[in-house]
Amino acid sequence: MSAERVIGALLAASMAASLALVGVYVLDRGGAPLEGSLLAVALGGVGAAIVVWAVTLMHAPAEVEERHEMPSPPRVREAAAEALDLEAVTRRRFLVRMLAGAGGLLAAALALPAFSLGPQPGRELFETGWRAGARVVGGDGEPIRPEDLLEGTVRTVFPEGAVGRPDSPAMLIRLRPSDLQLPEDRQGRAYEGCVAYSKLCTHAGCPVGLYRAQDRALICPCHQSTFDVTRGAVPVFGPAARRLPQLGLAVDADGYLVADADFDEPVGPSFWNLTHAGDPE
Amino acid sequence: MILRWVDERLGMASWARSGLRKIFPDHWSFLLGEVALFCLVVLVLTGVFLTLFYVPDAALVEYEGPYAPLVGQQVSRAYASVLELSFEVKAGLVMRQVHHWAALVFVAAIVLHVMRVFFTGAFRRPREINWLVGIGLLLLALAMGITGYSLPDDLLSGTGLRVIYSVVIGIPLVGPYLGFLLFGGEFPTETIISRLYAFHIMLLPALLIGGVLVHLAILWRQKHTQFRVPGATEQTVVGRPFWPSQVFKSTGLMLLTAAVLALMGGLLQVNPVWTYGPFDATTVSAPAQPDWYVGWLDGALRLFPPIEFTLIGITIPSVFIPGVVIPGIAFAIMTLWPFIEPRLGGDREEHHVLDRPYDNALRASVGVAGLLAFIVLTIAGGNDVIALIFNVPVEAMTNILRVAFVAVPILGFLVTWRVCRELARRTDAPDPRRPVVLRRTASGGFEEGGHER
Amino acid sequence: MRTARSLAASLLALTALLALAVGFATAAHQPPTTGGHAPAQVSDPTAMGAELYAQSCASCHGASGAGTEYGPSLRGVGAAAVDFQLSTGRMPFAGQPGSQAKRKPVAFSEAQIDSLVAHVVALGGDEPAGPAIPTVTTSDALLPRGHEIFAGSCAPCHGATGNGGAVGGGALAPALDQTTTVQTVEAMLVGPGQMPVFALGEEDLNAVATYVDWLQDAPTPGGFSIGGIGPVPEGFVAWVVGMGLLLVVVVLAGRSWQRPDPDAGPDR
Repeated sequence: MSAERVIGALLAASMAASLALVGVYVLDRGGAPLEGSLLAVALGGVGAAIVVWAVTLMHAPAEVEERHEMPSPPRVREAAAEALDLEAVTRRRFLVRMLAGAGGLLAAALALPAFSLGPQPGRELFETGWRAGARVVGGDGEPIRPEDLLEGTVRTVFPEGAVGRPDSPAMLIRLRPSDLQLPEDRQGRAYEGCVAYSKLCTHAGCPVGLYRAQDRALICPCHQSTFDVTRGAVPVFGPAARRLPQLGLAVDADGYLVADADFDEPVGPSFWNLTHAGDPE
Repeated sequence: MILRWVDERLGMASWARSGLRKIFPDHWSFLLGEVALFCLVVLVLTGVFLTLFYVPDAALVEYEGPYAPLVGQQVSRAYASVLELSFEVKAGLVMRQVHHWAALVFVAAIVLHVMRVFFTGAFRRPREINWLVGIGLLLLALAMGITGYSLPDDLLSGTGLRVIYSVVIGIPLVGPYLGFLLFGGEFPTETIISRLYAFHIMLLPALLIGGVLVHLAILWRQKHTQFRVPGATEQTVVGRPFWPSQVFKSTGLMLLTAAVLALMGGLLQVNPVWTYGPFDATTVSAPAQPDWYVGWLDGALRLFPPIEFTLIGITIPSVFIPGVVIPGIAFAIMTLWPFIEPRLGGDREEHHVLDRPYDNALRASVGVAGLLAFIVLTIAGGNDVIALIFNVPVEAMTNILRVAFVAVPILGFLVTWRVCRELARRTDAPDPRRPVVLRRTASGGFEEGGHER
Repeated sequence: MRTARSLAASLLALTALLALAVGFATAAHQPPTTGGHAPAQVSDPTAMGAELYAQSCASCHGASGAGTEYGPSLRGVGAAAVDFQLSTGRMPFAGQPGSQAKRKPVAFSEAQIDSLVAHVVALGGDEPAGPAIPTVTTSDALLPRGHEIFAGSCAPCHGATGNGGAVGGGALAPALDQTTTVQTVEAMLVGPGQMPVFALGEEDLNAVATYVDWLQDAPTPGGFSIGGIGPVPEGFVAWVVGMGLLLVVVVLAGRSWQRPDPDAGPDR
């Protein structure tokens, strides 16, 4: 088959596809698969035709060309340096220094609006929506009684009035009290086998949304940090190095679960001064 | 005729003459950069279309479109606009998918192009500037990708943004301030979507396109490098003229690239944000990965051991070393390589003829080691998906890859080094630039002592 | 000419192959249906149940259902748990001891399963009984609510498209392409294996069952879904298909088809 025939056939296929595309669009049929395939034939037909043409029909034997020497002749470079005549400027040392100083300060001043892009962190990284006495509610806003939770249940909970607040989701898990081996500094935070931990991973902040019921392990899907729920959410695998903050649980007069305070450490990923919780900002 | 009209006004005939006859060497591997460029053309064209439908607004609206599972749900205006484009705009979905596939292939083409340039030593003097520009383009491409796929404000990409935010606030001393500045407050903010949009359609494309023009201009000025073929020396270039041969081939290649992307955009579903659902800061879907070209960063975060310590009262978070330090060092070495190699190897001359990959053992070995490390990290970014597909425990995958990250690049370095030395010893005539060492034998004759390195 | 033909032929062949592959994949992507069932009437269910139990279950779960070192106690697990394990084929267990029970071909008929359920429930005696076999009604109106709950509670382990996930510890949250609506709700009420318990209200349970059912035939308007597990397979396809096709194009188009002309001197 001659090259001309091949090129002609490719171009004909392309034309057919382009026309078909008009029909497909007007009739609104076939969806993305048909649109994309026809577009591919339309584009590819012309593309292949041009390449075949260039490669077979165009007489373009390889040629040799000389490279220019990159560096200019020394005379020319000197002439350029002379034209630049930096010396005339740099000679005035005092003025140059003043200019540099003014330029630097001006640049700093012009950069000031960049700081309008966002607020100072302040205390935000140290606080969440949890308060002493805040009721523990589910995503539907309803408060929870511990006896309504079956063993092995895990629920995402929020402080009442702050459902969906991004820094406040917690995982509430119902275990058997005998399963718990909370560390010393977290004794007393469980209530009848119910424990609540911040849902934000202490590695890179993803919600720790996976739970293996038999292993009593919370897992973060982003980088597979795994936390042992019976021992105060201490990391047992993966790159997280810090325990999930634990919420102290109690019940109020009506028997609903409440938090007894905000988390005692920042939730989410660590930052440079996270142990300076008492510092004013 | 047209030429005369333009020349009467611009006087560019002599430029046109030399330009049209300019010689470009032929080798298929030289077209990889062009493939990347054509992916960029497709990205810009489809991207412009998308900007006419996308709404960069994180404010919540009630979804009222045809996708049944989301009807009545609170989603951001941005997310709703992407669904509208996908389901209610004719040709909207195919344009979106072509755009996304083009982005994935764009970075793949750049990676192959960088590999070709690196392993053939094309970055050597006088092309160090273009290497720097090129690395800048690579980083801009990554930034474009990240800002782009986060625009639909879906659960998967939003989770990725959260990870980026966490890495930023993990930077000692300045982290929280920088994070709050970039995002406009504590994650998540309403403003981040519109900010990413400004970067994605205005700031970064300006830098990217400007950089591409500089890249091409320098290439034009310095003339392309070429492999050692008959007729090619350091003073000449052998190839075909720009017009008509190369222009036709390149135009054809551009259309074929667009054709491949169109085929993928039509037949292969990509980034189905409707299945991920709208972004919700309190939940997450699994598996959770960024697009492939950021997979190495996710892999680094997954593999690094749980190390967090305090230095003079400053906590160094566990994400800092794998998320900032290691990538920073790796990119620094890569960027400065054209200046590192001459200092280590002693060759500071101008080069227009390319090396074969095995001609420089140090370069090849370092390159292979770096590439293998990158591949291990990229695989690590998908360790849970691999665990799912091949039914392997996730923890085992992680531990194997931790060992592999250290062992495989070192092994790769050593193997490449030996192979290069062996190949250099075996192949054809000795390089006239390298003097042959002669040794006096005990019996008084002379023997070759091998090439001086 | 050879070059033109090989180039055009390669491109056409590749496109045809790709189209074929896509066609097969979409055609093969039909979820099989296994039966969920309502309790059938059997003449003397407990007698058959006792016999089957002794043959197939007692060796691991103990003759009276109190459990052994190989299998947990079944006393008080409830009808839903037994029905779930048997109707999905997880039981009788056939894997390595200690490994996760996986869905496999069902070993018993519906009548036999009903009898076993009755027998195991009876074994519970006075223990508080676990959940009963639920009645599930799906409704399109519940689809958005089902999606909302699924996204928050199920997707983290089972994946946004219900294609399953590796949850660590040797466990896999299975793909949801074969579950019936009854089995879906049973699993949520029972929390089998590593799965936690999701004892939601009836309407919420029906909603999730509706959405999971919908997922099994979910439309893929963008073409072949590449497994529906996100950017990892997408990146793989971008390299293998995208870059692969383009490399073929580049190698074919970029070849030096002619030798350099030795008589052509440097350009002036």
